[in-house]
Amino acid sequence: MTNCSQAKRLFGDFWDDEVTQAEREWLENHFSACRTCRREYDELARALELAGSLPRHEASPDLLERVLARTRRVAPAPDRVSAPAARWVPATAAAALLLVTAAVVSPWLGLSPGRMGTGSARLETPRQPELVGTQVNVTTSPKSGDADAPPSASLFTDDGTVPDSLFDHRDDIEFILDPVTLNRGRRV
Amino acid sequence: MGRVAEEDERAFSELVRRYQGRITNLISRVLNDRECADDLAQEVFIRVFVHRRNYRRGSKLSTWVFTIAANLAKNEIRRRVRRRNWFSLDALQEVLHDSTSVLADPTEGRERTLEREQLQGEVGRAIATIPEKYRMSLVLRDIEGLAYEDIAVVLGIPGGTVRSRINRARSMLKRKLQPLMRKEAP
Repeated sequence: MTNCSQAKRLFGDFWDDEVTQAEREWLENHFSACRTCRREYDELARALELAGSLPRHEASPDLLERVLARTRRVAPAPDRVSAPAARWVPATAAAALLLVTAAVVSPWLGLSPGRMGTGSARLETPRQPELVGTQVNVTTSPKSGDADAPPSASLFTDDGTVPDSLFDHRDDIEFILDPVTLNRGRRV
Repeated sequence: MGRVAEEDERAFSELVRRYQGRITNLISRVLNDRECADDLAQEVFIRVFVHRRNYRRGSKLSTWVFTIAANLAKNEIRRRVRRRNWFSLDALQEVLHDSTSVLADPTEGRERTLEREQLQGEVGRAIATIPEKYRMSLVLRDIEGLAYEDIAVVLGIPGGTVRSRINRARSMLKRKLQPLMRKEAP
């Protein structure tokens, strides 16, 4: 590489004042020896001075007002960047925790999955109520000529107590009481 | 910028006041079109407002605003080139006017001492005839005074590319203004 082409490579940095001290001294020595490079650099510097000294085109005085008037009409644009995941993670975690808690606690509340399920496999035909027939002492006193009349059931059981209901609800209450307690002592 | 993102109109007004001069001048010098520069500067600030939430905190606000301005100016140059290609006769006349009657042979029919406004007009036109990718780098560096690193961010190109583009743009400008300067020189 000749000295002149090496010098020209430094013109830009020399103008920007980004040369080392050694480069600066070398270039200045070269300029004193090479009038062509000196003139090349002077023309470059003059061109850049002219460009840098151009009058600045100021914004029109009403630019701010025009911008503000338009921004007031501009609807806020939706963010193209999706919302950070951290915003919905806590809500999802709370919902999951609630579900797990419900699943753990539900047996203790007597809410068996069979009763809670909604699928068709879980649907059971409603059990017809049964009369507490065996224990109830039915004192039939049909009147003659009234054979089709329904027997009137006495409200007293064999042991003389009054039943809570004419129907056997023991299976029903199984769902709302502790099944362990309920099955204890139950007749098979 | 955080206050601008939070719909603070006063903060946005302050931002416009701070940058409107530099942005208008940048666009004006890149396009060599004072009237269009004003409209494009307005568009720059509208975009700043619309995309205010896309601004990344920690990055330089000035480079973000300059990036929007540079992109809009580049779009305008390309739009004009397309239009020029379409109306090729007009384009030819404009190119001939730019390259021959004004710059290439400035000695013809001109006074030795140019008035300042005339000289500035010549320089402005010389800049405007530099290819766009070099012109933008030159204006950002030698007229707006941005650092090389900031220009790299604004234009989205490596720092080495910025330096080489600026060196080439300076050489082009010097060549375009050479006849004028040699006429000026005693």
